[in-house]
Amino acid sequence: MSAALPAAPVETRLRAERWRLRVQATRAFARRYLRRGDGLVGLVILVVFAVLAIAPQLFVGPLQTATTATGSSLEGPTSVHLFGTDELGRDLLNLTIHGARISMAIGFLATVITIVVGAIIGIAAGFLGGWIDNVLMRLTDFFLVLPTFVLALILAPVILDVIGVEAELFGIRATLLVIIVVIGVTSWATTARIIRSQTLSIRERMFVDRARVIGGGSAHIMRRHIFPNVINLIVANTVLTFAGAVFTETTLSFIGLGDPFQPSWGQVLNAAQSSGAPGLGAWWYIAPPAACVVLVILAFTLVGNALDDILNPKAVGRR
Amino acid sequence: MTDLPAVLRRREAPLPKLADPNARLLVVEDLKTHFSLESGTVRAVDGISFTLDYGEALGIAGESGCGKTTTALSLVQILPSNARIVEGSIKLMGIDLVPKSENAMRRYRWREISIVFQGAMNALNPVRRVRDQIAEPIEQRLGASQATARKRADELLELVGIPRQRGQAYPHELSGGMRQRAMIAMALACDPAIVIGDEPTTALDVMVQDQILELLESLRKKLGLSLILITHDLSVIAETCDRVLIMYAGRVAEEGPVGEVFHRPRHPYTQKLLAAFPNIHADRRTLDVIPGSPPDLRNPPPGCRFAPRCFAAMTICTEVVPVETTFDGVRVACHLYNAADDGAPVTIAPPNAIGATTTEVA
Amino acid sequence: MPDDLLRLEGLKVHFPIRGGFVDGLLRRTRGVIRAVDGVDLALRRGEVLALVGESGSGKTTTGRVVVKLTRQTAGTITFEGRDVSGLWGVRALRDYRRRVQLIFQDPYETLNPKQTIHDFVVEPLEVNRIGTTAERERKVTEALEAAGLRPASDFAFRFPHELSGGQRQRVVIAGALVMDPDVIVADEPVSMLDVSIRTELLRLMLDLRRERGLTYLFITHDLSLAWVIADRIAVMYLGKIMEIGPAEQVIRSPRNPYTQALVSVAPSPDPPTAGERARRTILEGETPDAAQIPTGCRFRPRCPKAFERCALEEPPLFDVGGGQAAACWLAEPGRALPVMSLPSDSLTAQPIEGGA
Repeated sequence: MSAALPAAPVETRLRAERWRLRVQATRAFARRYLRRGDGLVGLVILVVFAVLAIAPQLFVGPLQTATTATGSSLEGPTSVHLFGTDELGRDLLNLTIHGARISMAIGFLATVITIVVGAIIGIAAGFLGGWIDNVLMRLTDFFLVLPTFVLALILAPVILDVIGVEAELFGIRATLLVIIVVIGVTSWATTARIIRSQTLSIRERMFVDRARVIGGGSAHIMRRHIFPNVINLIVANTVLTFAGAVFTETTLSFIGLGDPFQPSWGQVLNAAQSSGAPGLGAWWYIAPPAACVVLVILAFTLVGNALDDILNPKAVGRR
Repeated sequence: MTDLPAVLRRREAPLPKLADPNARLLVVEDLKTHFSLESGTVRAVDGISFTLDYGEALGIAGESGCGKTTTALSLVQILPSNARIVEGSIKLMGIDLVPKSENAMRRYRWREISIVFQGAMNALNPVRRVRDQIAEPIEQRLGASQATARKRADELLELVGIPRQRGQAYPHELSGGMRQRAMIAMALACDPAIVIGDEPTTALDVMVQDQILELLESLRKKLGLSLILITHDLSVIAETCDRVLIMYAGRVAEEGPVGEVFHRPRHPYTQKLLAAFPNIHADRRTLDVIPGSPPDLRNPPPGCRFAPRCFAAMTICTEVVPVETTFDGVRVACHLYNAADDGAPVTIAPPNAIGATTTEVA
Repeated sequence: MPDDLLRLEGLKVHFPIRGGFVDGLLRRTRGVIRAVDGVDLALRRGEVLALVGESGSGKTTTGRVVVKLTRQTAGTITFEGRDVSGLWGVRALRDYRRRVQLIFQDPYETLNPKQTIHDFVVEPLEVNRIGTTAERERKVTEALEAAGLRPASDFAFRFPHELSGGQRQRVVIAGALVMDPDVIVADEPVSMLDVSIRTELLRLMLDLRRERGLTYLFITHDLSLAWVIADRIAVMYLGKIMEIGPAEQVIRSPRNPYTQALVSVAPSPDPPTAGERARRTILEGETPDAAQIPTGCRFRPRCPKAFERCALEEPPLFDVGGGQAAACWLAEPGRALPVMSLPSDSLTAQPIEGGA
């Protein structure tokens, strides 16, 4: 066949059209997003923290661990130590900014686990239905009622035993992996539930029947029809899950599951608590990490709500 | 007050304070309701006028997007937040409702003008008994005691053909037709002067549709109600209404007695609309095609809005907005008819039609 | 009959009514909904067969069985003489799916809002690995233009929400045409559309039949619409065919009281006179429950002409001549025939010969 020759331009044209549509969709999305004040505020805060998390050493130098103190014990804010120091004489500005990295990294990895597991299980259960749905949903129910803290306390020694206390994964130490796993394990179930319910309603849409009539199998339908219609929900959910993960991480570190050598915000708060900072009136010890946690969670919630409003399948249908 | 219309005398509820008993029931003049969107102003209703007398049934027909539902919602002022009545008056018993505040409007909404929506039967609260749902507005709006309200609700249910005991049922225990009857009972709860039906039978089966239409007809006779039926289904109007108003792109195309308009349609749009309606009982087995699609109401064509699709369009049609001229009680907005003429319908050019007659298998 | 493209014989679709979770586990049922309850139907090559019925009559389920979206409980489906009843799964159905396509009722629902028009139309070709990219593009363009979306390039890379209702339904049609099918099952294809757009689409469907030799199973609740478009009409009630025959005969001289009632209440834009009103048969009640089908003739409880026998035995479809058949004891051969007919002198269409 001489079809090979004219085939090239057709493919190029298709690719060009697809690209154009993508650009167009992105622009439309950006325009809608930028019009929302709350989403914008959230985005700015997140960008600031993301920069801090990616390159903390550019702002405050290398991480000060328990072995490197630069000031005296529990010093109030001064021009040298803007945020004061902790009971070991470490600079709290340094700890807080490095804490951003640890907190956000844990939040990020936990979110990835949550969303990947949640989305796969949610779509599979919702679309395939029948006994698969039944089994997956009972499993989900089980994880849904697991208490995060109890699970963390039980899992911590188990995981540490399995991978060893000194093990590292992508530069993250074992104790923090415990936190990531615990957050992932306890929060994917909610995501799976949400995605499943959306999948259930999409499965009943006629375009899914149509895809069957033209001969599409389940894998095809899930990829081409279900996934594109739940992706918005996944994105909005990711952002909100991230906020939840940062919060849970803080809590778990605060109750003492963190790693003193990789101080997250929760870890700093825990240290403040155990050193008796509140009783000594060392507000500077508590305020910065607490404010950071509040700001980040607020920012994620703002962004998540903005995305939810813009990307919500119902809202898109109304356009 | 001996000169009250007969229907008005039967009325139990007191008239609104400001009502003029000698005024016509409803006079709508030059009503304009516009929607503001990001992309511009949609002139959904753009200067329509009509009247409704006591005991009369008026049908408003047109394709989707012609503004018929917006007209209905304007009458009771339950418009979406981006819509506004920008001009015109709606006079109910001589009282102009347009300038009324939301609070003042509540004196008239439901108590004087009630509305039954399309698919309203799905709007019943699933966890409350049907009777209690009907009794609620009587208690709330008319300040009746619970016992009185329930008694009235029972009467209403019987009136719409639901046996008293069935009032104890929850909505899901009733069929679609029964639920639609319950919605009608609810609309009648405060003894309104006007009931608006917005596609009241569209979601129902043919047989049930007929039952509901019969019911509306009998209620009108029994209670002296005035009806406004909004529908795209011309047969519903033929069945139940005295007069019909054909809307196109936010304006009146033709309005008049049902018999006259349907048997001798004057406006080309009415003619096409009727010819596009499949009718078992007619001799033809063809359907007419109306080429093109309705105009974008953000930027409607100047002159007659139907001109781009009209088989009889002339130069003037694309330039000048046709004035409404009346012949034999039929109001028509079309340049084919001048006040000086006799108003005889100008009929269609050879039909551009489909159907079994033209599509025999070769 | 050599000309029967598709035959349904003794088709039944029963849906079990399951209670709660425990019932589901024990595979216990609380009864069955007999949505389709013994349907025999032959679709002849090149015809438009309208399947008419109220909601709950089983017409949509019948259509879904034909396109293999719903599994039959009993009965056979024969396509071109080959039994396809037992074929399931993507691979086994590949050939059948190419040749039997479905057009859905609601164009707003049939189009995936995230898919461009092009992707919708090309999808069947991709799924079935038909042609090279260039060939596919040619077919897509051709299908879009055949469906009246000209030029195709103006529509291909747009999303459904950018199109009007009529245009969307054309896209749906193009998506069926691209496979070059023989049979199109059209489930209420125009009921969501305005009158004026409706006619254009019906015309398109009839034109396509002429040009491509398509056969339609046209499912509708609207008898008047069936009358305009169909060669033959089959009237369904509670899962069974009550009457079938050439359109003119079924409408002008219906033999089953149910069809008679449907004809008499069929909507008409002519304001009725008092006499016409009186002649009308408005049936009491609504379509009864397919979970509780009456014994004997299933229409009996609502039938104005029911007599003793109707309660005892279910009438089969009696041939009443001219290719028309009615499931009613009143149509039993040898009976004095009750007549309800109108003069049909103005009809120009010839009844299509029954293939007896």
